[in-house]
Amino acid sequence: MSPARKTVLYEQHLLRTDRSRLIEFAGYLMPVWYSSIPREHQAVRQAAGLFDCTHMGVWSIRGATAADFLEGLTTQTIASLAPGKARYGYIVDTVGAVLDDVIVYRLGPQEFMMVVNAVNHDKIGRWFARAQEILDERLSGAAAPEICDLADPAQGRRRRVDLALQGPASREILERILPDDAARNALGKLKSFEGFPTRLEGSDVFIAATGYTGSSVGYELYVHPDQAGPIWQRLLQAGEDLGLVPCGLGARDSLRIEAGLPLYGHELAGAHRISPFQAGYGWAVKLDKPFFIGQEALRAQSTDYTQQVQRLELPGRPGVRPVRPDDAVLADSGECVGWVLSCARVGESQIALALVDARLECQETVGVYYLARSERHRQEGRKESVRLGETMAPDVNGTILERMARF
Amino acid sequence: MIPSDLWYTKEHEWVRFDGQSATMGITHHAQEQLGEITFVELPAPARRIKAMDPIGSVESSKAASEVYSPVAGEITEVNGRLESEPELINQSCYQDGWLCKIQAQGGPETFGLMNAGQYEQYLQEQ
Repeated sequence: MSPARKTVLYEQHLLRTDRSRLIEFAGYLMPVWYSSIPREHQAVRQAAGLFDCTHMGVWSIRGATAADFLEGLTTQTIASLAPGKARYGYIVDTVGAVLDDVIVYRLGPQEFMMVVNAVNHDKIGRWFARAQEILDERLSGAAAPEICDLADPAQGRRRRVDLALQGPASREILERILPDDAARNALGKLKSFEGFPTRLEGSDVFIAATGYTGSSVGYELYVHPDQAGPIWQRLLQAGEDLGLVPCGLGARDSLRIEAGLPLYGHELAGAHRISPFQAGYGWAVKLDKPFFIGQEALRAQSTDYTQQVQRLELPGRPGVRPVRPDDAVLADSGECVGWVLSCARVGESQIALALVDARLECQETVGVYYLARSERHRQEGRKESVRLGETMAPDVNGTILERMARF
Repeated sequence: MIPSDLWYTKEHEWVRFDGQSATMGITHHAQEQLGEITFVELPAPARRIKAMDPIGSVESSKAASEVYSPVAGEITEVNGRLESEPELINQSCYQDGWLCKIQAQGGPETFGLMNAGQYEQYLQEQ
């Protein structure tokens, strides 16, 4: 393992939180929280929150064949995407294993930006070459697109990192720091999964209405890494009276769980090899387009599964033991029908994402059995894993919610 | 944040001795690392324990931390308030947030506990 890297906002984090609050996440030192997870979660639902997403991988794909390349690389329709619009989709390998979930932004007729998970950055970087080989035959010798890592210092002024400003007050906060009326107009007209280029603090940026919190109003700002600190500070200043707070990894996780959004390695791929169809994102896999890598494997997966991701609500008042990944989900009969993938406390509830029997429906009651977490639990006979079909007594009961929630 | 009249373990528990009665809990540093504490598992009263026996756990939504007994002896009392008000540990880890009382078979030296100065240095070395 290489030592944890600092994000470009490391110095900003140390101004607002203790060094001991920083943990290693996807190879980077990031704060779990600044004030508290529930306070930061609430701020995003009621006002706004600012997130350091500068660890995310940002790739540029340019050239006459860029659209065709991305059309073959991802499960989404890219050729028909208008400049200034974005789509969410998947990169899968030839046997249909999900390599990552990505957002592709079309910046111009021959220019795209693709944002990947930090944990998958290097893997995707390597996959580009293999994908190009596979697609070469189909693109019949046309020049390969130019692919650049926008974190790379060699990219100079083109370098970009991601900051996320999320929550109902985020539009007003951004308006306050946009350079002119034209930019404020563009922001006012922006719909979900659209973006526009503008300037912040004197440098070029791309602002998009995307995010990972389930907020109806929220933005991602793609800025030069040297400007990330100044823009971070300027935003916090501009939004202070509106309730804007910096948010750590804890709130990022609890917000995306509450919204039902998958995290690669948990609700997508990972130990259970969860497919986009099981995750509830079959709409982002365009099986009927002419070709993408892994298409036939995904076609088979589209109907061939018995478990899918569901969102559960469980009690979460103080004194209720937190539910954790791998805890068993039980049907009314006590039979194990799946496992918890992620869980977060939200107010007096816990919201969990779980992989469960695909026949379970919204509103149904489910139980959860806590796995042993300590030597004492093992001595008391608590199990360390539960298999499908085993019958257990539930420790806590909850219900299945709608798969997704928007705020 | 490190009261001078208490004794400390490397696992971030504190002990207050009142004769042979030892009251214990987790330190400010420990509760801060856990974040909002939502669940506390307390030991059974009257249980006989050795030093470093796991006697319970403290959990937040992000982490679970096992609690070890800093001393050997018999548990005489547990702080039942924590079952419904686990946040007392965040609010008052050295007073209202105590975990249990133990009739201890020995003093701070017996169990190799650190004094406040030693614990402070230990924290800095972490």
